[in-house]
Amino acid sequence: MSTQLGAATRQRARFSRLAESAVERARLTVVPRGRTTAPRTPFAILVGVVLLLGVVGLLMFNTSMQQASFTATELEEKATILNAKKQELRMELDRLRDPQRVSEAAAGLGMVPMTTPAFLRLSDGTVLGVPERATGDSRFRLTPLPPAMPESFKLKPEIVYAPVEDGQAQAENPGTGAPGLLPEREAAGSQERPRR
Amino acid sequence: MPQSPPRRPRRPVRARGTSLKRLRIGFVLIAMVMSVFAARLLQLQGLDAAAYAAQARQLGAVTEELPATRGAIVDREGAPLAESLDGLMIVADPTKTEKDAPQIAALLSRRLGLDYIHTVQVLTDSEREDGSENHFGYVARRIPSEQARAAVKELDDAGFKGIDTRWDPVRSYPGRDVAANLLGFTNRLGEAGDGLEMVYDSLLKGKDGQATYDVGGGNRIPLGDNSTVEPVDGEDLQLTIDRDVQFYAQRVLRDAVQNARAASGSVVVMDTRTGELLAVADYPSYDANGDYFTKRDHLGSAAFRGVYEPGSVQKVLTAAALVDAGHVDPLTRITVPEKLKSSDRVIGDYFDHDTLRLTMTGVIAKSSNIGTALAARQMPARRLHDYLRQFGLGQRVGIEGFGDSAGLLAPWQDWIQVERDNIAFGQGLGVSAVQMTAAVNAIARGGEYVAPSLVRGRVVDTQGRVGGSAVAETRRVVSPEAADATTRMMEMVTNRSEGTASTAAIPGYRVAGKTGTAQRVDPRCGCYGRQFTVSFAGFAPADDPRFTVYVVVHKPRNGAGGGATGGPVFRKVMGYLLQKYSVAPSGAPPRMTPVTWTPGSGPEGDELRSRLEDRFGGSRGAAGGASAGLSLR
Repeated sequence: MSTQLGAATRQRARFSRLAESAVERARLTVVPRGRTTAPRTPFAILVGVVLLLGVVGLLMFNTSMQQASFTATELEEKATILNAKKQELRMELDRLRDPQRVSEAAAGLGMVPMTTPAFLRLSDGTVLGVPERATGDSRFRLTPLPPAMPESFKLKPEIVYAPVEDGQAQAENPGTGAPGLLPEREAAGSQERPRR
Repeated sequence: MPQSPPRRPRRPVRARGTSLKRLRIGFVLIAMVMSVFAARLLQLQGLDAAAYAAQARQLGAVTEELPATRGAIVDREGAPLAESLDGLMIVADPTKTEKDAPQIAALLSRRLGLDYIHTVQVLTDSEREDGSENHFGYVARRIPSEQARAAVKELDDAGFKGIDTRWDPVRSYPGRDVAANLLGFTNRLGEAGDGLEMVYDSLLKGKDGQATYDVGGGNRIPLGDNSTVEPVDGEDLQLTIDRDVQFYAQRVLRDAVQNARAASGSVVVMDTRTGELLAVADYPSYDANGDYFTKRDHLGSAAFRGVYEPGSVQKVLTAAALVDAGHVDPLTRITVPEKLKSSDRVIGDYFDHDTLRLTMTGVIAKSSNIGTALAARQMPARRLHDYLRQFGLGQRVGIEGFGDSAGLLAPWQDWIQVERDNIAFGQGLGVSAVQMTAAVNAIARGGEYVAPSLVRGRVVDTQGRVGGSAVAETRRVVSPEAADATTRMMEMVTNRSEGTASTAAIPGYRVAGKTGTAQRVDPRCGCYGRQFTVSFAGFAPADDPRFTVYVVVHKPRNGAGGGATGGPVFRKVMGYLLQKYSVAPSGAPPRMTPVTWTPGSGPEGDELRSRLEDRFGGSRGAAGGASAGLSLR
């Protein structure tokens, strides 16, 4: 019995020694309290800064876009005004180039239209065509004639028939302006006389 | 052990009032409120969403119409004949301008030349008939924008309120009446009326655009709603017309018509080689910008639309046809009697004469009706009719949409003897000025007809028709030899001693032409009356024709014929053309062709006979003896 007991005890003791060593090996101890935790503040600061930058940036971006739109409207207005100016200058140019204006200016200087075309060949100096001195023959009116007066505006001569005495008229006025008148009056006069 | 005092039995715990009931009531109340919210939400978002969005848009949004600029019409070198300018209209809010109306009107009338009384009336018209307020009135329309802006700025500086400007484009015709007969005009609304403006409206118009955006404080909000449809500007139209030549032709024509105290006239200038119209001048014409003196019957182009009897210019077409058919040549001898019997009528010449011995050239040079009729009798009516049709008479010239007339050429089956004779020398048929020019141009072009064109390149008009100088059709009418023979005959017309139009001669150049003095029908009697249509058609230089010019004057009262009236106009216009386009004379001496012949077989007669026998193989002679008719001896 003692051997059995001893064996059991020895086994127990061995087991406990094994267990002890195992326990020793696997002994878990509590990690000491962290004195080495990473500082939280910089991270918080970083996030805060990013947030701030984002908000401020967005605000500034928006503001600058609005600013740009003001500038754009201003520039568009300027462009319209300059365009109008360009057109006005072009109109002025058209007016100056107008053939009517140029012709009138030339006529005012005493120039006349050419009569006969002739050419001077520069390579050898020959004259082609028959050059003639420009006379006033080719001139033409640059402005239209004034419109003709309508018939209803023209004054018609007013003819006044003077009363004529029967007997005297024939003797005194043999050739008055209205020859057809006297015979009429005469005839009228004779009719008025009672028939005998 | 000590025991705690017995506890009192607990009563069931109850809050003040019945919590369960209150809970239920509260729940129901909340449910009702929430369902109202839900319903309203459904209504706002689901049913009325579009309406509210539209209202919101209206509140801050601006819809602006972006008008398209109308295309310009330019001449062959790019000089503008019609162009669109930025313009503004000045509008007023009468309720605001009422009290300062006189000062505002004074300033505007001084700056812009408006009518003072009318402006004051508009500025004080603040009440409508029904008593409501009127907040809008037109003060001035279509002012160039620079001037309008300056005027409004001055008003703003002076402190006057209620005046504003709006977009109102101006159509300007810088040449005023130059080419107005072709261009047409645009009315106050900017719509085209008549002429090229109307024919090519779809090309010139472009397409308006639209811009919608949110506005705050007068500036666009960039992140707001924004949509733009860009306007498509109209395309420019380039004509074959030369503005300077058109101006020159119009002034010379007006001068001639007024000197002759005539009713109207036209000048048509055509480039021989290409058929492009360099100028189409009409008198009377009008200022395309619009003025008080524009009469309705001055609108449009009489050169295209007006039909009249061409007269003796027609003789060159008949002569070309006869030569091409082999019936005559420039030296054919014709005995021209004093009068010619035709059906029941008698044909006479414009000058009295005994029996004349003229060559065909002489018939053309002296413009003898009888001679032409005799020569034309050799050809069957059908052939003459076909030749004339080939020359373009009796059909439209092919410039579509211009209201051009086809003229009048009766079918050959209907021709009786006198009609046939008349048509041979240019009475009894109707043509337009452009038609005649194109027909004579066929002779200048060596016998090949080219359709006249008014627009350069290839353009599609509003009706979808294709036109332009690039697609002008050509066809052969007579052989080159026949055209050359006819040109030879026409050169004698401008001969100082023999021809009827020595006024059209240009020293140093060989000029081929033909005068015309046609009798006009008197509508009262249906017979030929005492009025005439005088004309002249010609081309130069004859050895290498560059330009064809045709002048026609209707109802002159100075008694002069085609040579005296049309000749000088032709000379001036042709001289200008030759100089402007640097066409130097070739220096070749003018071709002289005999206009008369003497009886008896001289060397001339033998030479002629043998030449003609070679050509036709056997002598020909018309019936009839020495009194009348053609003879080759």
